[in-house]
Amino acid sequence: MHHQPLTDLDDAVLVGRSSDGDVRAFEVLIRRYTPLLRAYARRTLGSTDELDDVVQETFIAAWNRLDRLDDGTRVKAWMMRILSRKCLDRIRARRVHDDVTELEVAAPADDAPERVAEARSREEAVETALAELPEAQRRCWVMKEVLEYSYEAIAEELDLPVSTVRGLLSRARKNMIRLMEGWR
Amino acid sequence: MSDRDTVGLESLEPDDLDGHTIDELADYLDAGMQPADPSIDDSAACQNALAAIVRLRHSSLGSLEAAAAQEAPADESWISGVLANISLEARAGRDVPLRPEAPTERPVMTEGAIRSLVRTAGDAVPDALIARCTLEGDVTELGAPIRVVVEIAVRTGSTIQQVASDVRETVGGVLATQTDLVVEAVDVVVRDLLPPPDEDSADTADTSDTAAGEEQA
Repeated sequence: MHHQPLTDLDDAVLVGRSSDGDVRAFEVLIRRYTPLLRAYARRTLGSTDELDDVVQETFIAAWNRLDRLDDGTRVKAWMMRILSRKCLDRIRARRVHDDVTELEVAAPADDAPERVAEARSREEAVETALAELPEAQRRCWVMKEVLEYSYEAIAEELDLPVSTVRGLLSRARKNMIRLMEGWR
Repeated sequence: MSDRDTVGLESLEPDDLDGHTIDELADYLDAGMQPADPSIDDSAACQNALAAIVRLRHSSLGSLEAAAAQEAPADESWISGVLANISLEARAGRDVPLRPEAPTERPVMTEGAIRSLVRTAGDAVPDALIARCTLEGDVTELGAPIRVVVEIAVRTGSTIQQVASDVRETVGGVLATQTDLVVEAVDVVVRDLLPPPDEDSADTADTSDTAAGEEQA
């Protein structure tokens, strides 16, 4: 009998089958999204040996909550949000507290524009510019621009006042635009 | 040097953006530029800054995809580890009673096991693939009437009505023989199309199944 390979199926069908308990379908989703999730975790946590664990925790949490995902076509964004929370938990565990005033004043290094300007592609330039942002700005920026969180949701996740998040994003935006305008 | 570099992207303060902040512009973009604000739409400086924000957004997403392409594929032993750590019970659903053979017995089958039966049977129908199966009604009460909703994907080029009808019949049949559910109706919903048949079909990851939730007495 000819079986349809699951690897060709789109996300919505795989999510439906996984939610029904089909481990093989979920395995396809794991293969499909591990590189993206690892890249996101690397961007958030740096290159640590925690990447494997945090991505594994994300898939396990996703499996457990699959029935709460209404629209299977959104599984990629949904898993990235789960991952982002897992990453934040790790960051919180690493450091007991963030000094809010320190968060507000940090700025990219003086030679950041030069490093961005040397990038060979637009993607690489963004990667370099992001790496130059102070950590709190980068975190807010990625949550807003990649995960499409609202200001309020970012504030809640980071346990910061909304006004602080707005301030951080404002700085991040200006820094990113300036750094990226230097690249071309 | 292009035009946009000549208009105040250095400071990005309201003085350079006809009185707007960069954050107002980003929020305006988030709102789909609705309702229209002529003081933004008619300002060259603002349009410039908006274009810079849009470029940045595109490349932010692009850079993550590019970074993902640089990551190695998922390690096989790591995948096995993840799969070993997921809980089949999490997807097992409700306990569905079976007709007891002795008064002291309380045999049940999990909803997950029933969905697995449906999946296996439905996948075996030519040109069909089960996307999802939902049992509607109080399946926890023996003899209560229920409806089964089966969402399927159908092979491009096949006769959709025929495939749907075959799935309905097959699923109804397997539930009648292997469960004690009183099925009022099997509703088949076509959700998706499968690509046309592949000539050299390699059978590496086929639909043979691992079920969540085993039958238990």
